Amino acid sequence: MVEILTRDLAERRRSLIAYSAGLALYVVFVVAVYPAFKDSTSLDALTSGNPGLSAMFGISGSITSPVGWISANIYANFFPLVILLLTIGYGAQSLAGQEEDGHLELVLSLPFSRRAVVIQKAGAMTIQATVLGAVVLLATLCGRFFELTIPTAHLATATLGVVLLAIDFGLIAMAIGAGTGARALAVGVTTAVAAASYLISSLAPVVHALDPLRYTSLFYWAIGDNQLDNGLTWLSVVVLVGAGLLAAVTTMILFDRHDLRA
Amino acid sequence: MTDAIETEELTKRYGSDRGIEGLTMSVRQGEVFGFLGPNGSGKSTTIRTLLDLQRPTSGRAMVLGLDSRRDSVAIRRRVGYLPGDLTLFDRMTGSRLVSWCSRARGGHDRTLTAELVERFGITMDRPVRDLSKGNRQKVGLLLAFMHRPDLVVLDEPTAGLDPLVQVEFEHLLRETATEGRTVLLSSHSLDEVQRVADRVAIIREGRLAVIDTVEHLRASAPRLLTLQFAQPVAAETFRAMGGVAEATSDGAEVHLRLTGPIDPVLRAALDHELVDLVARHADLDELFLAYFAEAPTSEEPPHG
Repeated sequence: MVEILTRDLAERRRSLIAYSAGLALYVVFVVAVYPAFKDSTSLDALTSGNPGLSAMFGISGSITSPVGWISANIYANFFPLVILLLTIGYGAQSLAGQEEDGHLELVLSLPFSRRAVVIQKAGAMTIQATVLGAVVLLATLCGRFFELTIPTAHLATATLGVVLLAIDFGLIAMAIGAGTGARALAVGVTTAVAAASYLISSLAPVVHALDPLRYTSLFYWAIGDNQLDNGLTWLSVVVLVGAGLLAAVTTMILFDRHDLRA
Repeated sequence: MTDAIETEELTKRYGSDRGIEGLTMSVRQGEVFGFLGPNGSGKSTTIRTLLDLQRPTSGRAMVLGLDSRRDSVAIRRRVGYLPGDLTLFDRMTGSRLVSWCSRARGGHDRTLTAELVERFGITMDRPVRDLSKGNRQKVGLLLAFMHRPDLVVLDEPTAGLDPLVQVEFEHLLRETATEGRTVLLSSHSLDEVQRVADRVAIIREGRLAVIDTVEHLRASAPRLLTLQFAQPVAAETFRAMGGVAEATSDGAEVHLRLTGPIDPVLRAALDHELVDLVARHADLDELFLAYFAEAPTSEEPPHG
């Protein structure tokens, strides 16, 4: 029933472990050094007096506050970057990449409908993103041993926002791969869209021309609207899940029409 | 009884590239059907369209009585397929590939699988990336046969197999057909196909050139006749006769290629002192080559 999902997870197991271990180490390090910086007024002055710099790193509010610290060092940039690498990589590999290297020929000679293939691969992507998100959440929660306390509920929903964001872009990569069969193209285009989306969301507060555009940015809905302070709104959940469903349905339609290359 | 495969004006074009054009043919249940053609003639295109890996531009195909587009999942449940360019998940061992495909298919025939592993000496306990091409190909064959499918579709299956294994493989194909199951065997080697196939389709530049039994093809193949006379006889004596495709002389020997009745030729020969006579059918591959000789040579299309 779920052989494609389990097969892909097995193929990706090592890279998922590597991503998780690397990111966990990074996060634990960041929260562990917090006590050394939390009273640094000069660091605070550097960013609060420089909204452009803050915006570039997705920082809002004081960088030395608990929320500011993990936002600036983890949630606003590094965590989304790494989890997007994982999901965009898998999204492009799962259809286009497996078509290029010939694995899809074997998979599609088995009694799976094209739709089932897409559903299982979207499932495998969701599991990978969720595992990485859970690892980051747990590692961040270690902050409570280092004077860094954040309401767990807000942290958890913000993590959910980033996980959904990553799944969305992963599915966009999958859709481009499903339509074209070209892995590199899927990675390239999706990365460009994600980068634009990030810049719009993080620069909108200082570049007023971008302000109306921020609603088009999935980053805004996931992490760019002070979610660590306020939690993820239901509207954000609807937008992020809706975008994912749209990408998944698009993938199904494109893949169903696609002639598998020999 | 419905045909195992039935195509109706099946056409697949890739932009301006040639694929297959108006292919109408049927494969009966319980036969080994040879699908012959040079590389790039459209064999793989046909097979991959039957399995719904790609979609026809027009026309349609029925496989095991089911529509190749609408009922594709049901078809693939009952078909075993060995791709022309086999790629397995190369970190998996043969055993794990079998159990993985078995779960995907909802079971396999354990007795048959064990027998095939034994018979072909298939390496089951090493990752397939560590195997030679021939041994990987054997794993691919096992995956195509392990669930005892009603139809086995094999695209250039003997690539990389050593000759002894090929003989065993031909036995397997005959046994499969004897059980009433069907084999579609694509190949560019006539030699391989004529030993094992009941009927043959020859495909050229995406179009069906001929479809017939191997026996008929052989019977309709030109006969080669060598007449040895006591004295030299001019080849012209025979050249003008009906049914003589070609006549050459070499001293007292005359070589004829006959496509018509032999009787008038023999009567004419008896006007001279005939010393010896040798007659034989042309090899099927001479016929096969004749079919392709008619085709203008062109560059290889990108799609097999």
